[in-house]
Amino acid sequence: MKQIIFALVYLASATLAFGQGEKERTQAIVNEHILPRFEMLADKSADLAQVAQRDCAARSEPLRDAYANAFDAWIAASHLRFGPTEIDDRAYALAFWPDSRGYTPKTLKTLIRTKDPIVQKVEDYAEVSISARGFYALEFLIYDPVLSVEGEDQYRCDLVQTIAEDISFLAENIYMDWKSEYARSMIMPSLAGRYISEEEAVQELFKALSTGLQFTSDMRLGRPLGTFDRPRPRRAEAWRSGRSLHHVTISLSALRDIALKLAPLGSPLERRVGLAFDRALSQLAKLDDPVFASVAKVQTRIKVEIIQQSVDSIREIVRDELGPELGVIAGFNAMDGD
Amino acid sequence: MKSVRLIAKAMVLPFAISATSALAVDKSAVLDTYANIAAAKYQDSLIAAQSLQASVNALLVDPSAEALQAAKEAWLKSRIPYQQTEVYRFGNAIVDDWEGKVNAWPLDEGLIDYVDTSYGGPSDENEYAALNVVASPKFTLSGSEIDASSITPTLLAETLHEADGVESNVATGYHAVEFLLWGQDLNGHGNGAGARPWTDFAAGNACTNDNCDRRGEYLKAATDLLVSDLEWMAAQWTEGGAGRADLMADQDAGLSAILTGMGSLSYGEQAGERMRLGLMLNDPEEEHDCFSDNTHNSHYFDGLGVQNVYLGSYVRIDGTVVSGPSLADMVAAEDASLDAEMRGKLSATMMALGLIKTTAEAGFSYDQMLERGNAAGETLVMGGVNGLVDQTRSIERIVAALDLDEIEFEGSDSLDDPEAVFQ
Repeated sequence: MKQIIFALVYLASATLAFGQGEKERTQAIVNEHILPRFEMLADKSADLAQVAQRDCAARSEPLRDAYANAFDAWIAASHLRFGPTEIDDRAYALAFWPDSRGYTPKTLKTLIRTKDPIVQKVEDYAEVSISARGFYALEFLIYDPVLSVEGEDQYRCDLVQTIAEDISFLAENIYMDWKSEYARSMIMPSLAGRYISEEEAVQELFKALSTGLQFTSDMRLGRPLGTFDRPRPRRAEAWRSGRSLHHVTISLSALRDIALKLAPLGSPLERRVGLAFDRALSQLAKLDDPVFASVAKVQTRIKVEIIQQSVDSIREIVRDELGPELGVIAGFNAMDGD
Repeated sequence: MKSVRLIAKAMVLPFAISATSALAVDKSAVLDTYANIAAAKYQDSLIAAQSLQASVNALLVDPSAEALQAAKEAWLKSRIPYQQTEVYRFGNAIVDDWEGKVNAWPLDEGLIDYVDTSYGGPSDENEYAALNVVASPKFTLSGSEIDASSITPTLLAETLHEADGVESNVATGYHAVEFLLWGQDLNGHGNGAGARPWTDFAAGNACTNDNCDRRGEYLKAATDLLVSDLEWMAAQWTEGGAGRADLMADQDAGLSAILTGMGSLSYGEQAGERMRLGLMLNDPEEEHDCFSDNTHNSHYFDGLGVQNVYLGSYVRIDGTVVSGPSLADMVAAEDASLDAEMRGKLSATMMALGLIKTTAEAGFSYDQMLERGNAAGETLVMGGVNGLVDQTRSIERIVAALDLDEIEFEGSDSLDDPEAVFQ
């Protein structure tokens, strides 16, 4: 009997310890991974809006630099697609990609051609199709040889300034919501809250990791790879600004950070997760092909294929080992479906 | 001590027995109901498609405005059972692998037939977006010369569908037939569907927009193919069919398939890809049944399919009911409040999708709802989206409550020495 009681007490304390671990883990991820990323995005987006006010010319170096910094900040947070990013379509408006039906150039062209006055006020611009908002629309206006000279200079300048300001509003609102309320709802789940238990909060974070990995593999790498017979280099992300490879590196670095914070501290699993990321990142560092143009040639596409396999092997460790370790499932994500 | 043990036993035993028996009996019975409903839904889809086929044949034999209208009505009816099957897609590989043949969307319809000049030509993504097979007995596709002098089901299925590896080259299925019956919807955000004249199928001098024979041939080939594809799928769910066998092979994986289908359709596909994206893009073509303006029904019956699979009860197109032990029963035995939560959310979604449907039927059509700055439309569509997103959270809770989260995955196949390539 004594043995049984002992076992029961042991079990109870183990459960308790597990519960506390989850709370601390969530807290660390919110404070050290999520909040700094959205703060950075808000800051860099505010810079971008200011620079655009002073200098809206497509070829302006300060504008391109400010754009690059803000876009970097978004990519580093782009896996955190839940809560404040999903209110009022904020993340969609910041980052409408992939655009497989070519809506972005089409919508921008229509705005420019009709000199749509909606561009005059940033509050009104929030009504515009997401395809003409955010970083990918701005890329067309700054880097695309056709759209960067389309129509009247003044209208295009207004468009650049309004889109930059809209980005800044979106980023600021995301950060404000995280700070004012959402961080707390994750760290302190309650039956009346969005997360009813610590497990649900951990599950959300795990889902961000697994969905982020899937997006990087399937979209950032998979789209340009296409198939062996039909590679699609022009489907690479942000190739006009030469950022395709760079995005894979930024996103994997961010995903590495959240993965290591989810894995048990000092465990063999933590080590293995770290090594799997390091392998993919070192392969990326050695690839001298910023827009994945090499996928079009039989001889060179193998490197990109291998990078994708390395990302997929991270996904396997995450799904088959980290998920069960945390006692959570990936759940459903926006990429389910076709 | 003895009394304590007895009490303990008395307390534990009833739970243990009921839990074991409930779960052991229910799993196979629940899967059976799910498979029976699949069989009924695909059989209904087949029956409705055969009726569409009869109307299409009548139109082609004796073209008239009335015959075209009858074919359109048969198409609309055929969507009612089919949309309710979509909940089977994502959980069942046999359905998912096949689905692209019958319901692929969105499509670059210029592949098939003439389009308005505003449609544009070939795009970065799709060189064949404006191929127009109806007008082209011969053309080059990915470097090969294609003889399309006769438009057959084989040509559509094996050569044209997803031509050049582009998914929007949709040559077969409901939406190809829909385009041939209605034509492009050129009303933008205004009310009204596609308005193809019946004379697009007329003989001799009455023929409009040229190639009426070939257009008719295409319509017949696509409709015949739809019927034979549905025949195949209906057979997979009869006793001894592969869909049923796959499902029953592992009970936990089978239950997981039910929930995967419900969750993936609700969230990523319907709430995301089909509803919210269209709203955010403000594009009238971003609606699922865009030629016929039938999207409100498409969404409604998708939602109904999720609900009737959970509740284990489907009303067939002849009014008879197929029902049995359900996932709802199983969840209720495990956690009654979770079952109540799930039922409540499914009902809320159906209420929201019902509002979209009734409002569209009253004259405020789905493409109008998508227009920039249309607050009333946005509220209606987002009501459906929010309901679907919200029900997905409960579906995830059910996956956890039924302990279906430890499903085995396939191992990895990475290269032996990938680093060597980077040296």
